[in-house]
Amino acid sequence: MNAADANASGKAVTLMERWRRRRGRQVCDLRYRHLFEPYEGDEWVALDCETTGLDRRRAELVSLAAVKVVGDRIQTSQALDLRLQRPESLSADSICIHGLRGVDLLGGETVGDALARLLGFIGNRPLLGWCIDYDLAVIDRQLRPRFGFALPNRRVDVRRRYARWYRRARPSVEPDLRFEAVAAALDLPMLGRHTAIGDAVTAALIHLRLEREV
Amino acid sequence: MLEPDLNRIPFTLLDSGQRRRVLEGLDLGYYATGQVLLEAGASPECVYLILKGEIAEVDPLQTGDEAWIGHYTPGDLFGGISVLNGYSRYRFQVEQEALCHLLPAALFRALCDECPAFADYFRQRLADKTQRLLARRGAFGSTLAGFMLAKVRECLREPLIVSRATSIATATALLRERRVDSLLTGAGNRLGMVTKSDLLDALVNGGSTPRSAIGELGHRPLIQVDIDDYLFAALVAMTRHRIARVVVFDGREVAGVVELPDVLSHFSSRAHVVGLQIEQARDFDDLVAAAGGLTALVEGLMAQGVKLRFVMALLAALNARIVHRTFEFGVPESLRAQSCLMVMGSEGRGEQILKTDQDNGLILTDGNAWSDATRQEPLMAVMQDFSERLQRLGYPPCPGKIMVSNPAWVASESVWRGKIARWASSRDPHSLMQLAILLDARAVGGQATLLEGLRESLFRRCSRDELLLSHFARAALRFGSPLTLFGSLKRREHGVDVKKAGLFPIVHGVRTLALERRIAATSTLDRLDALVDDGRLDRAFADDLAEALALFVELRLRQQLERLRAGGRVGDDRVVVQRLSGFERDLLREALHTVRAFKQRLTHRYHLEY
Repeated sequence: MNAADANASGKAVTLMERWRRRRGRQVCDLRYRHLFEPYEGDEWVALDCETTGLDRRRAELVSLAAVKVVGDRIQTSQALDLRLQRPESLSADSICIHGLRGVDLLGGETVGDALARLLGFIGNRPLLGWCIDYDLAVIDRQLRPRFGFALPNRRVDVRRRYARWYRRARPSVEPDLRFEAVAAALDLPMLGRHTAIGDAVTAALIHLRLEREV
Repeated sequence: MLEPDLNRIPFTLLDSGQRRRVLEGLDLGYYATGQVLLEAGASPECVYLILKGEIAEVDPLQTGDEAWIGHYTPGDLFGGISVLNGYSRYRFQVEQEALCHLLPAALFRALCDECPAFADYFRQRLADKTQRLLARRGAFGSTLAGFMLAKVRECLREPLIVSRATSIATATALLRERRVDSLLTGAGNRLGMVTKSDLLDALVNGGSTPRSAIGELGHRPLIQVDIDDYLFAALVAMTRHRIARVVVFDGREVAGVVELPDVLSHFSSRAHVVGLQIEQARDFDDLVAAAGGLTALVEGLMAQGVKLRFVMALLAALNARIVHRTFEFGVPESLRAQSCLMVMGSEGRGEQILKTDQDNGLILTDGNAWSDATRQEPLMAVMQDFSERLQRLGYPPCPGKIMVSNPAWVASESVWRGKIARWASSRDPHSLMQLAILLDARAVGGQATLLEGLRESLFRRCSRDELLLSHFARAALRFGSPLTLFGSLKRREHGVDVKKAGLFPIVHGVRTLALERRIAATSTLDRLDALVDDGRLDRAFADDLAEALALFVELRLRQQLERLRAGGRVGDDRVVVQRLSGFERDLLREALHTVRAFKQRLTHRYHLEY
């Protein structure tokens, strides 16, 4: 796939994209070069992870889930749902949120394996998630030392997208941007709150819903 | 995590391993309003299980109201039969944006292959499905509880207390007079019980004579229960002490006696009790008291899972007896011998479960004293009184004035024949309605032969008149396709009017066929049987119609009972689809399909296409 194709399909090749492709050529591991190709399909991947805290410089991964969205359909039957090995910083506070205790993480994947499977799953598809920047910041922090690059995928923060849509629809009202409130406002069910897969699916639903609003 | 509730039919037919495969194989789909999920003729990729939203099933070849086939709401499953057939017969379209679990077709087919019961569920006819529902209800018995919770208070006999000096002869006479089996002797806290067998024993083996005082025959100690104990507790006490009666105390006072046969009949069926009360009523007030037990009886029987067909038959019999007894109490003998009281409408068909409007009429013999014009006034006074009595029994007056207090429904045989001839030839909607009402008439008092003669002349006049039949049948199609009522989905209380949508087309269609075939039976179910014997309908279709009818009646009845319990009036016939369980909705949908097929047959038979 080259720049000409991208132009032909009506997409402008941005400076960002050129830079990304150059970054791709610098990745020495050939297996991951394709991540840097521009994506041409119509699939998305909704992503979410549970972590040991809310500080993106220190939090570590506890579980990780990704699910593909193809057209109208959320492919929950082929979702990626991974538990990781117990991180050092697993504390009581975070366990109360995601409900994964130390014993629940026995037999979990190592961070390296989990990330390799994640990369295989998402490919170069665009990503979406609730406050996805935070999740990607934590993932990238783990990714860089092991693979030598950060995720280059296009990403959509569903929260920001909702806020934008809401302000356009009702400019005078300040939107309630809590996850639960947004799902309730859009009349969507909350599926397994505070599990990685549940939050990923809810984010995907919000995305599909907003897609139809515009 | 994203698990739908699989603890319901048809998933309960799968074993746990298969259910896990269902859960693991599910995808999630989100569809916008108006989107077509499955085009008619297309081969489906999956079975849909609605999590949120509403889906309409439409026939793309039809337009307007006729196009509506079905309507699916959260918890419903659709597309199963389409997957098995390999194509979809109708178009499935999103009515309100929907979130569905998707079960891939390949997995669904695999499950059907592995589990024949699961596959059968999707292939079954309505009659089979109802059987399953009944079986399930029987198994879990929504409610034996109602019967188990009966209190001693409800099943009490007044105590017969005599002094110890009473002679055996007097005691025996008292027992016979009061129709009881036992009496209490003594007073205060020194009570004893004497039973018939005690008396017999004393006379034959104890050397007493009929003149001896019953004195010390009384048993001690008495087995007691409290008036607010559960009846079940009384039964347990009897079983434990191997006795047939216990004494009931209200505080320190004797309140009565509970006898074993009474308890048993209370547990087995209150029908027996109500029936007895009606027969034994000595005056009108007794009858009013007996009639009061009917609603509770219906609830009890329904809760026990008794098939509606039998409940209807039983209730029709009891209602007929009540009206009959009222007729006896309120109408002079000379009039009764010369007339026939008929009940019409749903009561005539024996399909009314709760007491509804009184629809009745009177046929007088020709040339009897009461049909004389000069007697008109006293006759109407008697009839007016009769109507008021029925009203006191809980049958509200008919808003259409189809009752004996209206002179138009009291006439001699020849006048009735004249009316029939006039109605049959004018064929306007009002006349056709009168004919329909009269067709369902059933004799409940007086000379039943009068009604038979009248019915015979009705058949003679109408059954060959194709034009009349065609006009008559048209009414069955009057309310359009029932499924149109699903069209108004956006409103909060969107219900289905089961009377217009289901009951009326079946009842009236069957009535038309019965008229044509001269079938004298008045109940729709009996008419269906007769039509099958006659060769006019095939057995399978008649069964489906009967089940559909029973379902509509049951849905309506449940709603009415609920309203009565809430203290309201019986109210209209709307059933709120959202309140039904998924399986019942499924049945309702199939029942409406059956009605639709029946209407098509009627259309074809009576040339109603234009």
